[in-house]
Amino acid sequence: MHDQAVEAVKFIDLTWMNVSFLFVVGFIGGLVSGFIGSGGAFVLTPGMMSLGVPAAVAVASNMCHKFPKALVGAYKRYKYGQVDLKLGLVMAASASVGVQIGIKIQEYILGRWGEAGSNLYVSLSFVAVLIVVGGYVFYDAWQISKSGGEETVSKLAKRLQNIHIPPMIYFKTADVKISLWFTIPVGLFTGLLAATIAVGGFVGVPGMIYVVGASGLISSATELVIAFIMGFGGSVKWAIHGMVDIRLTLIILAGSLLGVQLGAIGTTLVKENMIKVVMGTIMLVVAVSRALAVPRYLAQLDLLSVEKSTLSVLDTTSFVIMCLALAIGAIIILGSMIKAKRPEAAPTGTEAYEAETYEHV
Amino acid sequence: MSARSEEKKKKLVLQALLFGAVTTALYAAVFMHADLVQQLFSRGGYYAAFPIATVFVFSFFHGTFASNLWSVLGIEAVTKQAVKRPTLSAPRPAQRPRPRLRMNA
Repeated sequence: MHDQAVEAVKFIDLTWMNVSFLFVVGFIGGLVSGFIGSGGAFVLTPGMMSLGVPAAVAVASNMCHKFPKALVGAYKRYKYGQVDLKLGLVMAASASVGVQIGIKIQEYILGRWGEAGSNLYVSLSFVAVLIVVGGYVFYDAWQISKSGGEETVSKLAKRLQNIHIPPMIYFKTADVKISLWFTIPVGLFTGLLAATIAVGGFVGVPGMIYVVGASGLISSATELVIAFIMGFGGSVKWAIHGMVDIRLTLIILAGSLLGVQLGAIGTTLVKENMIKVVMGTIMLVVAVSRALAVPRYLAQLDLLSVEKSTLSVLDTTSFVIMCLALAIGAIIILGSMIKAKRPEAAPTGTEAYEAETYEHV
Repeated sequence: MSARSEEKKKKLVLQALLFGAVTTALYAAVFMHADLVQQLFSRGGYYAAFPIATVFVFSFFHGTFASNLWSVLGIEAVTKQAVKRPTLSAPRPAQRPRPRLRMNA
């Protein structure tokens, strides 16, 4: 009976407007993912829900487009020598455990405080993590820009690399030797966040940069490996429950496969710290968006009294700002790519990558 | 433009057209039978293999098409082959004459 009810509502009618919206958001989301390793999902899921797709189908269809997109992006960036496969596998293994912990926490909150409580927890986690981590990433990017664009290994990562607790692992591409015990928490938090706000990369990439000590370029590329492994596992689960709307998945994929490759190409053209600039900016704008969603959940829990019309305005503003976050990220990426492509800017725009790949002739 | 790069571009255009045609055919096949496909793919259980396999197949063809498309449009990554560092100049020979000892008696 329940399955029939789901069956009745999950197949929305596709109009040209719906298709165009999903294609464009897929393209922009892909562009951002190819560049910073994650992104897009936070707009696509609520975006699909606004089109009338049930939440579970939206999450499932989004995830089912995410893992092949991440696979294509990871392959592309692997060819550029940016992916540390071993780091990706270690992170993905611990992130899988993190996801299970995240689900348990969600289940506990859902059982104790209901759906509003769960939504409030998700939104508050969003706001707290994005402000703290995104703020630091943005501050770091700004400092790097001021000092001439040279990325350095964080003090925390240097300290951790000097603590020799077996087993020590050497990550060749990242050129980092660190104890496994320091990579596990990063993976766990990535998975925990993925289960909570569906964008694990917002912790995974900064974690690999500031805790493990990998560069922004390597971290963002390696995040795609994690996204593929976790997305694949999640998609299989959703598909077994018959929740994937393949039409939605394929439309988003049509846009995102174009975008993810453009984003991957972009990483070889622009300055390395642009990855941090884009990531920090998106995280801070998304934090504002999610903060605007908090009053609704507080009102549902009777902790705040707000007019219905005000809540409606806040919801719309929240969604528009979320779309804006993705658009701003895409504009920065495309802008910096165009700038780097100009002949006079070419030498400065490719410094980081050239340092590793240039040959003397 | 050299003959070699002209040939390379022609090959890329052909590949983009080929993979583009296959991708279009795949999309047409799914969306012309959207109801049937949707019904079959959302049965759950072992039928889960259908959506998973489908996205892999689409990724391969559409992904290859997208890669070729960006290359044809001249949007390519900076790679070893594409960018060469200018030749380093050889160390200069000493220009100044070596000091000589002169004995003025």
